[in-house]
Amino acid sequence: MSEPVKGLKRFVLGEFITPEACVDAARKLRVSGVQGLDAYSPYPLHGIDEALELPRSKVPLVALICGVGGAASGYLMQWWMNAVNYPINVGNRPMHGFWTNIPITFECGILGAVLSIFFGSVFGFFGLPKPYHPVFESERFRTASLDRFWISAETDSDENVPGLEESFRQVGAHKIHTVVENV
Amino acid sequence: MATPRQMLEPEPLITGHHDDGTLNKTLLQFIWNKAGRGWFALLFVGLAGTGLLSAAVAVTIAKGIGTWGNNIPIGWAFGITNFVWWIGIGHAGTLISAVLLLFQQKWRTSINRFAEAMTLFAVMQAGLFPVLHTGRPWFALYWLFPYPSTNHIWPQFKSPLMWDVFAVSTYFITSLLFWYLGLIPDLASLRDSSTSKRARIVYGVFALGWRGSARHWHHYKIAYLLLAGLATPLVLSVHTIVSWDFAVSILPGWHTTVFPPYFVAGAVFSGFAMVLTLIIPARKFMGFKHVVTLRHLDAMSRVLLCTGLIVAYGYLMEHFAAWYSGNEFESHVFFSSRPHGQFWWAYYLQMFCNVAVPQVFWFRRARKNIAVLWIGSVLVNVGMWFERFNIIVTSLQQDFIPSNWATFSPTWVDLSLYVGTICFFGTLFLLFLKFIPAIALSEVKEIRHEMHSAEPMTELEGAKP
Amino acid sequence: MPPLKLPVFQDSAPAEGDGDRPWRSLGEKASRPEPSRELGEQAPPLEASRRSVLQMLGASAAFATMAGCFKPPDEKILPYTKQPPEVTPGIPSHYATSSTLDGRATGLLVTSNEGRPTKIDGSPEHSSSGGGAGVLEQAALLSLYDPQRSKVFKYKSQPRSMHDFLAATAANGKSLQQTAGAGLRFLMEPSSSPLLLRMRERVLERYPKAKFVTWSAIPLQRIHDGGVLAFGAPYDTRLDLSKASVVCSLDADLLSAMPGTIAQMRQWAEKRDPENPMGRLYAVETNLTVTGMNADHRLRMKPSQVEHFGLALLGRLAQRVPALAQYAPLASKYELDAAQSRFANALAKDLVKAGKGALVAAGPRQPAMLHAAAHAINAALQSDCAKLAKPVLHDTDAGPRALLSLTQEMRAGAVDTLVITAWNPVYGAPFDLNFGKALSQVKSSVYRSLYEDETSTRAGWTLPALHPLETWGDARAHDGTVSFVQPLIAPLYGGMTEVEVLASFLGEGDRTTYTQLRDYWRTKSPDAFEMTWEKWLADGFIDGTATEAETPAVKHDAILAEANKARAAASGVEINIVPDYKVWDGRFANNAWLQELPDPVTKTTWENHARISPAFAAKLGVENGDLVDLGLRGPPAQGPVVIEPGHADDCVTVAMGYGRSGPGEELAKGLGFDTATLRHSDTPWMDTGLTVVVTGGKSPIAQTQEHHSMEGRLIAVSTTLARLPKAKERLEEERGVPLTYHQPVAYPGHRWGMTIDLGKCTGCNACMVACQSENNISVTGKDGVIRSREMHWIRVDRYFTGDENDPGVVFQPLMCVHCESAPCEYVCPVNATVHSDEGLNEMVYNRCVGTRYCSNNCPYKVRRFNFFNYTGNFSETEKMVFNPDVTVRSRGVMEKCTYCVQRIERMRITTRVQERAMRDGDVVTACQQACPSTAIVFGDLNDETSKVSKLAREERRYDLLHELGTRPRTGYLARVMNPNPELA
Repeated sequence: MSEPVKGLKRFVLGEFITPEACVDAARKLRVSGVQGLDAYSPYPLHGIDEALELPRSKVPLVALICGVGGAASGYLMQWWMNAVNYPINVGNRPMHGFWTNIPITFECGILGAVLSIFFGSVFGFFGLPKPYHPVFESERFRTASLDRFWISAETDSDENVPGLEESFRQVGAHKIHTVVENV
Repeated sequence: MATPRQMLEPEPLITGHHDDGTLNKTLLQFIWNKAGRGWFALLFVGLAGTGLLSAAVAVTIAKGIGTWGNNIPIGWAFGITNFVWWIGIGHAGTLISAVLLLFQQKWRTSINRFAEAMTLFAVMQAGLFPVLHTGRPWFALYWLFPYPSTNHIWPQFKSPLMWDVFAVSTYFITSLLFWYLGLIPDLASLRDSSTSKRARIVYGVFALGWRGSARHWHHYKIAYLLLAGLATPLVLSVHTIVSWDFAVSILPGWHTTVFPPYFVAGAVFSGFAMVLTLIIPARKFMGFKHVVTLRHLDAMSRVLLCTGLIVAYGYLMEHFAAWYSGNEFESHVFFSSRPHGQFWWAYYLQMFCNVAVPQVFWFRRARKNIAVLWIGSVLVNVGMWFERFNIIVTSLQQDFIPSNWATFSPTWVDLSLYVGTICFFGTLFLLFLKFIPAIALSEVKEIRHEMHSAEPMTELEGAKP
Repeated sequence: MPPLKLPVFQDSAPAEGDGDRPWRSLGEKASRPEPSRELGEQAPPLEASRRSVLQMLGASAAFATMAGCFKPPDEKILPYTKQPPEVTPGIPSHYATSSTLDGRATGLLVTSNEGRPTKIDGSPEHSSSGGGAGVLEQAALLSLYDPQRSKVFKYKSQPRSMHDFLAATAANGKSLQQTAGAGLRFLMEPSSSPLLLRMRERVLERYPKAKFVTWSAIPLQRIHDGGVLAFGAPYDTRLDLSKASVVCSLDADLLSAMPGTIAQMRQWAEKRDPENPMGRLYAVETNLTVTGMNADHRLRMKPSQVEHFGLALLGRLAQRVPALAQYAPLASKYELDAAQSRFANALAKDLVKAGKGALVAAGPRQPAMLHAAAHAINAALQSDCAKLAKPVLHDTDAGPRALLSLTQEMRAGAVDTLVITAWNPVYGAPFDLNFGKALSQVKSSVYRSLYEDETSTRAGWTLPALHPLETWGDARAHDGTVSFVQPLIAPLYGGMTEVEVLASFLGEGDRTTYTQLRDYWRTKSPDAFEMTWEKWLADGFIDGTATEAETPAVKHDAILAEANKARAAASGVEINIVPDYKVWDGRFANNAWLQELPDPVTKTTWENHARISPAFAAKLGVENGDLVDLGLRGPPAQGPVVIEPGHADDCVTVAMGYGRSGPGEELAKGLGFDTATLRHSDTPWMDTGLTVVVTGGKSPIAQTQEHHSMEGRLIAVSTTLARLPKAKERLEEERGVPLTYHQPVAYPGHRWGMTIDLGKCTGCNACMVACQSENNISVTGKDGVIRSREMHWIRVDRYFTGDENDPGVVFQPLMCVHCESAPCEYVCPVNATVHSDEGLNEMVYNRCVGTRYCSNNCPYKVRRFNFFNYTGNFSETEKMVFNPDVTVRSRGVMEKCTYCVQRIERMRITTRVQERAMRDGDVVTACQQACPSTAIVFGDLNDETSKVSKLAREERRYDLLHELGTRPRTGYLARVMNPNPELA
């Protein structure tokens, strides 16, 4: 790779063969005080959340708010449209039919929650779509979605890189790559 | 020779010795390999049928609903029958993924993607009919949605058809997002296992740059679980609402409180039947036998049996209520016009396929017999179509005032639309099998890993040739 | 009238030279100069202007329809800026006129919008109608705008101008005068027109040896023969059913809303109210007729046996009525089987009991003998219900007999000029005459007809006839009342009237019917003619011109002598040919409204059938739709079987008027089969020796009602006078507001509602045509009916009850009942069907997307759906028939009865202008207006005094499907029959 420029992010990547090794390494690295840790795996790893001390996810909260909001607006829509804005005698039924409003209210609630969950996580929590990420600089890293497990440590100065590579070696990384953000 | 242990143990969910790498190979090979003759042959048939479909649609729109067999009193016939049939089929997918996920049913993993795809494509077919069957589709397309129009009229939310609009569109959106969320990691695996640059770019785009980060998995798990949790009541609500299209009316044969549960059960029933119908050939020709094992098929046939019994109960209740209520109109429908009317044969066909056939799945040997399973599942699909046909057509045929009574005969357009949607569905499905991992790769790997850490012994024994 | 408009007509003259289609415009020329002539006669301006302006209005509409045939200037003949006051755009005007069928006039009231007639109703003042209108009179409107009408004068099928014809006739006339018209024959419709009679006299003055022959396929000849037999002279029997307490119909269809029966139906309706003394109706007939279906007692028998029965009845009466004593032997001479005899005895007793209120009526198809017998009985009982009067028709001998002698002359070559104005003799004439062949032998022949039909192809000159709504004329009603025929529109395609044809032989081809008519009637009231004329035209008839009733002496000996002649006992299978309820003798076959109209009895449309009894069907091993060959002394006629409960065994009933092959009548072509080969001049109606061969073929039957039993449900309620009290108790549970979860909406203003009295409804279908015409209802065609997609907003359900061999029949007109809590409304996703604040269930066509859920959820299934764009290919001419007050529905929308909301709104405007509230009777729905038996009543239920609310409070009233809680606004009054306890 070309001579790295100052100020750009460097990623030290370590490959592990088994998930257990990966989780174990992640824990060790965090304990040893390595910052900017992340792990990559083809499927969710058990215990990695604790290993990396990830905070509780906000997804359920978002879902709850948007779900309730959707339901409320669904009900209000029906009430306003049929009982307030365009009240007309339809088969001698009450203009504001509480029972008949329930189905659509329910569907609107679900819709609100679902949309918020999907787009909230994909765009918000995952920060996707993200066609480029420094870790993709390493061809080898492609195994991360297939059958290998990776840990990355992020830093923005070359000085830290050797130290990090060392600590990766100690926790038994099978291969170690360092990639630099490309501009 | 089988060891005692094997006899006690259920069939493993993944047979043979595999690590993540071999799983990648075996499960993605169908995508990376060149498509075979069989695939192209089927695709050709599918496209031909899709052509027929578009012709029938064109005629319907150009000339009018008069090209169908519908009349007064039989305002709904093939169109709505097909709609309910397809929607019903569309239920298994989400149900399998969602409910089984919530119940931690491991065996779901190898069929859920498949089933979800089926759901999406089925709902697409279903969506065609409510629009097409109206007299003026070009208005029906948007007048049913509450938008501020120049004539200052709003939709009428007491109509079950409005509930339908919301339910079905919500259901489609939810299923699509649920499916896609589950697909993202596998698209990434495809991107990363691709050999050609083009494939890498295309799959890369759809993978949205997923890199399997633990921080993402952290949200992903909960998001996926939540979607499943929401999809489950949704599935129930959607077919409940579809059943209200009928139950809310005052028509004998429609006006029944048993409809919601019995329609939902029927939907799952037909949905699972369709999954079986599709996956049995698929696992054979796509080499999924090691992940879609006899154990999966066995589990699905049990569901078939169970839902079949609920449906049978529904039939029973309909007839009982008709008799017990002493209502002459009700009892006429159930004891006269259905069993003795113009479509008596459809009535008995329905009873045979939906009540008699599933009973064979009481027997282990039948559940293990691929041929029996497949034929059984096909018959159930036939039966479920006729169930809807009988509910809709024979109820309308002979209602309150005898001078209204009329006969019904479908036209070539009716038949083309039905056959056409089946072919269109098949086409979409073939494309899905070819370009998207039909098995949820990451989940299977997860399962394998759990099994691996759980019971290495089976692995080793399984490894023996 | 602004005279300056007249030149416009002359202006258009150059246009008549107009290139590509000269003949048509030349034809036009003949029909249009009228107005100028009117002025020529110093007609008072008002009169002249109204007529001619109307004609010009019509013409303008007509020209507008004939793009390409006229030069643009013509289309501005009527700038609305110069409206005569009485023609305001948007405000329809009404004109009294009349239409004649088989010579007798029915008084009509025609609605005209911007000079185009859009609705035909009965004239309330006219004795022949009383406001009701029959099926045929109303549907004639559609024929006016039929683009398939013949438009062109032709000679040997080559287009000619009218002038060519006049020239040719003039030349021919000269040569005829040499021989005093020896070879000149006129074959005309039966007629009662005073003017026509005068014209005939004048023709005979000029051609003394010429002869007038009258022909109708459905003549009244046998009635008149009966008169000759009974009294020595022909007589019309004028019935008054309002006085009748016991009526015996011997194959006489008294209540069918066919020509001459409308007034009777109104009278009979009065006798069907259980609160007043009720009449009792006995019917003896072969096939089910409308009358038979309404009878308290019905006896079915082979056609030949009806006469037999009549004489047996006469014999039985002889024992009870001294005046008839001499007929006693007939009782033994004409034996009846047990059932018949029981019937006859009871009937005889009842008749005697009824005395002056007794009536025996024989049908026009029955032989003279039976009519004579009926006369004898009515006379002996001094019946008030049957008055005798001199025939209103000029020729009482209008049947096969007259045509036979003419045909013989033609064959003998004694006829060198034959002028035919009678309707289509080639099609209608009995088979054995082979009139067609004889006609082609005539040197010079002229045929005038509304369509180019079977006769046109064999005649030399063919002249387009004018539609009654385009012509002037006069005629007498069944009771002799002189009635006028007035044009409401200028001829759409030119043509000639009967009068003008005769005039052309008097060298008066240039004189129009209008002038002839005025000249004739001026002689009748020379002083102050214009004022009288004004009144006559305004009324549409001349008051007090009904012919005197007479009481001629009955020639009992002659009758007895005739009765004693041996009659062959009926044996073998018999044919029974009947006039069709829809196309009559075939002249209405090209009328789509009538073709789509269900037959009142079989509920079949678009064709005729071989109607047989269930027993006979079983014997033949056939079912509905099986094709059979009917053979009778000639080539067989093939048609599908329809099984008719209550039909007599071992005989086949076939309706006339189908199997048409005229070149002009595209619509009628190929529908049903022709009965010609089954009709012979000696036995035009009924004969024995019929062969029925089952071919094994099948043909679908287009029926509007496929199921004929009520399945024991409480739908069309019928009871008897005896059981009425119990029935009333039962019906209490069938009306009123049921227990409901919703608070019923209040209707403070008007609460429109309707009652239908099943006791008065005879099932004649008049309401269906009225509705079709008023509400621009589409016709779906035979396929449409087969697929049960017919569009009629109001339908008349007909249910059979009891034994299928001798079923009871009950009718139920059913249209949207405007439920207060309507099941159709809450299932509509787009608010396209909602409730008005006066309780009308309204259809918003523009909003409808056509989910058809409303129809599915309508327990009455009275909603109709536009499966195709039925009116899309209408020509400009056809569009003229539409009622401008009613939207023409497009494809894909639902429609249904609106309670004639357009009439309600129009009346709302009118009353606002008059600054008054709407009164009972202000709003009259189309069906109500047409109903000859006043079974339908509409009005405001909030108005305690309104007729409808009174009826709604009756104990006979019930709500259809009350248990569903729909709370319909239309209530039904249970039918009450008055059977004879002896026969019960």
